[in-house]
Amino acid sequence: MKPFNPFSLTVSVPPHRHCGVTVRSRMLIILLAMVPAAAMAVTQYGIAGFRVMALSMATAVLTEIVCDKFMGRESQISDLHAMFVGLAFAFLLPASAPWWLVTIGSASSIILGKMMFGGLGGSPFCAPLIGWALCRISWPAFMDIDATMLTMDLVYPLAQLKNFGLQAVTATDAQALFLGKQLGGLGVVQIAGVLMGGLVLVMRKHISSIIPVGVIAGVIITAGLFNMIDPEVYAPPVFHLLTGSTIFGAFFLATDGPSSPNRQIPMLLFGMLVGIMIIIIRVYGIYPDGVPFAILLANLFTPVFERIRPRSFGKR
Amino acid sequence: MNTHETHSTLTQAEMPLMRHCPLVTCGQEVKRGERIATSSTPGMGDIHTPVAGKVAHVDTFRIRIDANGDEQVDPVSLDDLSGSNLLITLLELGADLPQVNTTETLIINGVDAEQGVLTRQELFISSRATLERGLKTAVALYNPQTTVLAALKGTAQTLDGANTVDISEQYPSGLDPMVALAVTGREAPENTVVIGLETLFQLGRIMETGLPIMETMITVGKEGKIVSLGTPVGQILDEAGEVIADRDRIVLGGVLRGAAAASPSHGVGRDTSAVALVNNPAPVAQDAPCVGCGECVRKCPARLDPSMITSYAEFGMYDKAAAEDVDVCFECGLCGFFCIARRPMLQYIRLAKNELALAQAQSGEEV
Ligand code: SF4
Ligand code: SF4
Repeated sequence: MKPFNPFSLTVSVPPHRHCGVTVRSRMLIILLAMVPAAAMAVTQYGIAGFRVMALSMATAVLTEIVCDKFMGRESQISDLHAMFVGLAFAFLLPASAPWWLVTIGSASSIILGKMMFGGLGGSPFCAPLIGWALCRISWPAFMDIDATMLTMDLVYPLAQLKNFGLQAVTATDAQALFLGKQLGGLGVVQIAGVLMGGLVLVMRKHISSIIPVGVIAGVIITAGLFNMIDPEVYAPPVFHLLTGSTIFGAFFLATDGPSSPNRQIPMLLFGMLVGIMIIIIRVYGIYPDGVPFAILLANLFTPVFERIRPRSFGKR
Repeated sequence: MNTHETHSTLTQAEMPLMRHCPLVTCGQEVKRGERIATSSTPGMGDIHTPVAGKVAHVDTFRIRIDANGDEQVDPVSLDDLSGSNLLITLLELGADLPQVNTTETLIINGVDAEQGVLTRQELFISSRATLERGLKTAVALYNPQTTVLAALKGTAQTLDGANTVDISEQYPSGLDPMVALAVTGREAPENTVVIGLETLFQLGRIMETGLPIMETMITVGKEGKIVSLGTPVGQILDEAGEVIADRDRIVLGGVLRGAAAASPSHGVGRDTSAVALVNNPAPVAQDAPCVGCGECVRKCPARLDPSMITSYAEFGMYDKAAAEDVDVCFECGLCGFFCIARRPMLQYIRLAKNELALAQAQSGEEV
């Protein structure tokens, strides 16, 4: 636009300054926080891991563009949220996932987990988990991590625990688990990388520490109780923390803004519920890794937790 | 009497109206200090022209006067007035005085709440005698049991006849409701009146001169300056050596809560605490849906849910906003500062409050 002579003023509502954090900058930092785990996944699975992540992210972005066209709305892909959904969904998949599974799952994460509810901020669920749940229920054989990864010399500790009991679990060395020497979702089991990214997010205040603390506390308490009842049958808390997607869920999925509570006490309860449900599903459920369903279930309880709120200033 | 080198000659004065009814028409000759608009809000003072001259423009939001000559109204004698007579006269002379029945605690808010504003601090330095005169008048009007001066921690400010209470400089501790909480220990205490230090200054000026309020202290850059009301903000910035460029914005008040001037001829009002030039090109707020990040909820000092309130306001569901206690919001502006979607939070909140007030006024009239 041609500048007016001598000038035209900008007139806008307050505030006239801003903290500087925008949706895009936050998503960018979250994506960067996922890079260490992604790099570890590529190191471990090679091009196969890279392929799943790239395909999932591309599908997510394209799907969102198409949705925006159909819905006749201005596209918001520049806020990078679709990239996050795509990458987070890929993190949950086995590296061997076929291309159509990745595509369908990633697209449905965006369609059913985000755009159906009117875009970012409307969904009561953490979007990547919607795609994951859809795939897990529709094509269990392809989502089954053990069956698809027989070529690797690593093992899926959670499936061993589920199917053969604690005695059969061979990967119990905490350090090896921490460094990702296990099977599971290709990104989520890179515990060291995930934890590093998560801690950066907490320290830079892009996510609150309350929900991750709640999840981890919930896991430790519940797993600890089971372990106390019978240490021969039930795995110790450390095992549960270091396997499957517990840490990834705690830092990256449960903290999803719209689907989790906003105030401190509800956040803590929400986190604890996720932690408790993880263990209950792992112990009694049919799914080896309870994290996605635990978070989806807790998402449903968000409105209930939100009812716990302080009195407004000065109201008696 | 204090003398201030203030009135850099005005060729034109523009008086902003706050739901005042204009009493003058275009072309009318006015004397300096003549009443040109009367307040329609209880507790808000009338408006007077700070220059003699001719009325050039009148609309709902402003009256503009071209300066000419120096005829001035006669001072009013206030010495033998008291009680409600004094109150009415002061309101007529342009003082803003909240109306209450009984006052237990009178709090003088001497804290500049927003960063970068130092108007009240400067008043302590430049106009102590006027402030004390004003305080005497306020005490006579409100007859409180205790009088408290809320001052910034570490400044050790005092006023004769008031106990000093320290206020933290952490925003929003300096806003009236937070100050009332710090002083009384209760949120929204009853029978408590908070008046700003500039009101005390204005009271003091009226008592000293017998003339209506025609000047105020504002912050320009890093210093306080007493200027004539109605001074165009463009002139103030010019005199401070600022160059206004295309797409800049002129902010009246602090950056979190202040209004942007629509033109450089916009005049300083009694409630203007600062005039500043902000030059970031893009508007800070944008029309965007809430992304549910929860930042605003965690930052709100009134423990509200600004995301819900503003979303309701956005879709015209004002009754729902009322159920979320929008009336409790004291407009600190933090929700908008932290909103990662950069929604115009404060504007939505003010919209909801305004619509609710209108609805209430209407139903009140129909009954
Ligand atoms: S302006 Fe926003 S943050 Fe401040 S009190 Fe009101 S709702 Fe809360
Ligand atoms: S800060 Fe903005 S985007 Fe975040 S919840 Fe509040 S209104 Fe929504």
